This record gives sequence, C-alpha cells and structure tokens, in this order.
Amino acid sequence: MRPAEIGHLLKLELLLDQRQKHAMGGMLLYVASAVYVCYLAVRHIEEASVWNALFWLILLFAAFNTLARSFQREDTGRQLYLYTLTHPRSLVLARTLYNALSMTAVSLLTLGAYTLFIGSDGLDDARWPAFSGIVVLGGIGFAAVLTLIGAIAARAGSGTGLMAVLGFPLVLPLLLSVMRASQLALQGLGLETSGRYLVWLLAIDAITVALSAVLYPYLWRD
Amino acid sequence: MKLLRSLCSIPAALLAGGTFAQSQTPDWLQETLFHSGKINTVVAVVALVLVGLAIWMAAFDRRLTKLEKRNGQQTTDQ
Amino acid sequence: MRRNWWKALGVLLLLYVVLIGLRTPLAPTIVHVDTDRITPGPVRFIAQGYGTAFSTEQPPMVWLENSGQRLCAAEVTVLDPLRIRVELEIPEGFRSELSHLHVLDTRAGQSMVLHEAFWTGGRGSGIQEATCPATAFSPSAAFTFPNRAILNETIRNLFFHVPMWFTMMLLMTISVVHSVRALGAGGLRHDVAAVNAVRVGLVFAALGLVTGMVWARATWGTWWTSDPQLNGAATVTLIYLAYLVLRGSVADPGRRARLAAVYNLFAFALMLVFFMVLPRLSDSLHPGKGGNPAFSTYDLDDHLRLVFYPAVLGWMLLGTWMFNLRLRAARLSESRP
Repeated sequence: MRPAEIGHLLKLELLLDQRQKHAMGGMLLYVASAVYVCYLAVRHIEEASVWNALFWLILLFAAFNTLARSFQREDTGRQLYLYTLTHPRSLVLARTLYNALSMTAVSLLTLGAYTLFIGSDGLDDARWPAFSGIVVLGGIGFAAVLTLIGAIAARAGSGTGLMAVLGFPLVLPLLLSVMRASQLALQGLGLETSGRYLVWLLAIDAITVALSAVLYPYLWRD
Repeated sequence: MKLLRSLCSIPAALLAGGTFAQSQTPDWLQETLFHSGKINTVVAVVALVLVGLAIWMAAFDRRLTKLEKRNGQQTTDQ
Repeated sequence: MRRNWWKALGVLLLLYVVLIGLRTPLAPTIVHVDTDRITPGPVRFIAQGYGTAFSTEQPPMVWLENSGQRLCAAEVTVLDPLRIRVELEIPEGFRSELSHLHVLDTRAGQSMVLHEAFWTGGRGSGIQEATCPATAFSPSAAFTFPNRAILNETIRNLFFHVPMWFTMMLLMTISVVHSVRALGAGGLRHDVAAVNAVRVGLVFAALGLVTGMVWARATWGTWWTSDPQLNGAATVTLIYLAYLVLRGSVADPGRRARLAAVYNLFAFALMLVFFMVLPRLSDSLHPGKGGNPAFSTYDLDDHLRLVFYPAVLGWMLLGTWMFNLRLRAARLSESRP
C-alpha cells in the first residue's frame, strides 16, 4: 500500500468515469427528477424540519445510487488485473476517496437543485455556509460507510437491492446525527451548538474508513 | 400458565383494591392493563416471554425431527 | 452432569426470579386522593392507599407540606385498611402551591408521601411551620419493591424485559468473536457458530421488543414512541435481519462465511458507535432518562438489584443454552456421514 498506488488507482477511476459519461449523466438526471417530483408534490415548504428531512431523503437515495456503481461496474477481467497489480487496501482506500469526491459533487448539486426548486422561504436565519459544510461532510460519511457495503453486495453477486438492505441500518447513526446538525444550522445556530454532532460525524467517518481498510482484503480473497 | 396466573394473583390479591381512577376513557385494554396496580401488564409480559420461548422450542423441535429423519433414512439406505 | 452445571444454575436463577420477583409486595403508598384542589376553610378528603394496613386502633398521622409550610390534619378516620378520611382546616394565610401529602402509620411502621397531591389555593404568604404531635416511629423491615408513580406493579417487568436486551447483546458479542475467527483458517466451523448466535440473539430481540411494547402501552400510553432505546433496538434488529438476508443470497459456503463475517464485524462496530451517539440526540421517555419517574442502573433500588442481577445472569445462561443447542444441531446436520 503506497500513496502513489492510491493516486494511480484514483486516476484510473476518473478515467473510467470519463469513459462512462452516461453513468454520471444518469446520476444528475436522478437528482434533478427526484427534486422535481418533490417540487410537484409539495411546491414549497414552510417548516425547516420538513425541508431538512426531504433534502436528506433525496440525498440518501442519491448516495445509494451513486455508490452502488463503484464495485458493480467492473467485470471479472479488470478485477483480476487489479488483483494481480495492486494491494487490496490501496484499492479500497482509492475507491473510498473517489466515492467521497463524487458524493461531495452530488451533495452540492442536490443542494443547489433543491434550493432552486423548493426555495428557501421561512429559512431566513439559516446559516448556509455551515449547512453546506454539514451536507458535504454527510455526503462523505455516506461514501465511507457505503463503499464497503457496496463491495460486500457486489461480492454477494446481487444488485442494489441487497446493498440497500445491508446499508440502510448502518447509515442510520450517520443520518440521524447529520440531520440533527443541519437542522440546527437551518435554525440559525452556529457551529458552537452543532459542533458536537460534527465531531461524531468525523469519528464515524474515521472508524468506517479504518474498518474498510482492515476488512476489505478478506472480501478480495476467493 | 395456570400456575403462573395463580402465582401472580398472590401479590395481586394481597394488594387488591387499588383500582384508582384513570383520566383517559377506559377501553378494554386500559381496563385490563391498569387494573389493580397494573399487575396484568406483568402477567402479559411474562406470558409473552413464555410464548416466545415455546415458539422457539417448537421450531427447534421441528429442526431436530428433520435431522433425525434424514439420519434414519441414511441408515436404512446403507 | 458436571459439564452441565451452568444450565441448572440458569434455571434455578430464573426460578428464584419468578418466585421473588412476582411475590414480593410493593412498598405501601398513597396512590390517589379524591380531590385535586383545596381552598381555605374546613376540608375533607379520602386518601386511597395501595398495600397499606391502616387500623382503627391507631389511625396514621397525616400532614400537608409545601416548601416550608406544614399543616397537620385535624382528624383522621380509618375507613378500611386501604382508605382514610382526612379532615383539616386550611388557614387563610396558606400560600397557594402544590402540596405533598404525608402519611405516617406508626403501628405498621410505614411512612408514605403522595407528591404533588393537590393544589392548595390559599391567599396568604405562608404560615408558621407547625410540628405535628410526634410518636416513636420505627420503619417496618418488610422486603418490598418501590411503588413508583406510573410504573406501579409493572416495575417487576424489569426482570423480564431488560435482561432480554442484555442476553441479545451477549449473543451478538459471541457471534462477533466467532466472526473474527471465521476470517482466519478453518473459518467454516466458526461461521456456523456466528450465524447460530445471531439467530438466537434475534429471538431475544423479538422478546425484548414485544415485552417492551406491552410495557410501554401500560406506562406511556402508546405501543411505540420515538425513543432512542426503541430506535436503537429496532435498528439492531434490522442489522441482524440484513445479516441473514446477506447469508441467504450467497450460495458458496466459503464466500458466504467471509462476506457474513466482514458484514458482522462492520455492523457491530457501527452499532456500538450508534449506541454512544443515539441517547445524546434527544430526550427520552425511557426509565432513568429525561426526568422520568423510574430508574437508571445507578439508582436501582437495593431490593430490585437483589432480583435484577440474578435475572440478567439467569436469562443470559438460558440464552447461551439455547445457542448451545442450536449450534449442536447445526453441526450435526452439516456432518454428513
């Protein structure tokens, strides 16, 4: 496991994504249509808690959609190729990093689309920089937890359904603390109150990344 | 179950008479659960635990029966 | 038999728990007065006791108390062992406040308080503290459980609901230990142990959920509330059901063992984090949290402890026994002659 190896793998992921532009486009379309459906259903939301909950629901499903691809898109040929060339630990760390990057993009995009359509009436006190920061951290957290789950689901040979079943109870602690923190930010409270939720968020991220690094090599073996 | 009920009824009988008023409208559930210091809640909980364990025992029994059958067949096959 | 002593111990402990836990009476208390507001002048009300033994030979002493004011009852009439009629004269100067009702039965050695029994609507700014005629009082040494408001008799559920979660956690810990070993050489044997521990653990989770729901209905008035403990329990159940779904979707035993072990370890670690985070996210209705009239592990009554700890150990031993049986049956079914 070398940093250079992780860098190369990261580049490979980016290259693969450029080659599969339709996947990224599909992702954007998913976010746009989910937000639009919400807009059609509710028009605009007065209450901060409902606004917050709906946003996180959209982002949660967007995360499952984005991250399910990461291990399922590779065929056995490439898998074998990577297997012989790299250490599994660098692979999982590179994938987690890459997933974190793409989730950052997806969560910011979702936030943009969501505020554009649903609007932000009644959220005049909201602290948008803090809220965006929490959203990005939450997105990275989803990426950290769901990368290993995606790998397990892919190894089990079943589709995204299994990933949702396995991943859903495990993202709950993350989801609850991130929702609480963003709720506070929407109500105009600064980081001094939501700070402790962010500490837990970072702790969960660190624990999951460490566990992924330790456990992934066992999935790899066959 | 009968034994349990009679066991439970000992403290209930000792302490009976505490049917104090509940502010909500009394439906059958309320009546049952809240009667004499809510002792029936304890009866329900203990009964549920026993029922749960009995279901487990029945499932385990079936599992063992299957196993016995399989082993029996194998011995006759040989 | 020498190797089976712990099974007998478990059964004996549970027998002790059922006998002592169900037969011990609750401490006598005043549960109800038939008025909720009293005004200056002569007042008369009936106080309903639970487990009391009032006697006409020597009526109990009764007084009202609210932050420094004390007012002794003028006359106490015993109607029956569970009911007394109290007559008192509220002076004009009594301060308007929630009052506690104190009842001291010197004959039976019972001292009882009904907190915030009623609102005393005085108009004054307080009266001189009176001292009621005192008699020698020696508390009775009877073995009782506390009779707390709302909980009442259901305090006994402590021995039949809470240990279910302890047992479940024990079994899940056993499972995770086997999962760690399943990742090493000869993993299949440990994999069988891990899955059987989870299966028995889920039985206890189901028992914990069902008993908890009945208890919640009787004390909080709903079958389910959004409470950290309840959400945690539901999540743990979901995690382990997902574990079984994962196992069901992989056919190859070697791969299944590895995938399941990885998921089990990952889930267990996140579950521990969840248990640390969850209670801090919100106030709880659960006993011992958020000022609820109940208990936490720290203020558990000494008498309750005497039954609660054996109950936890007994249920854990029973759970381990169930796991042991399942594991042996599973190993038998896998060893094809």
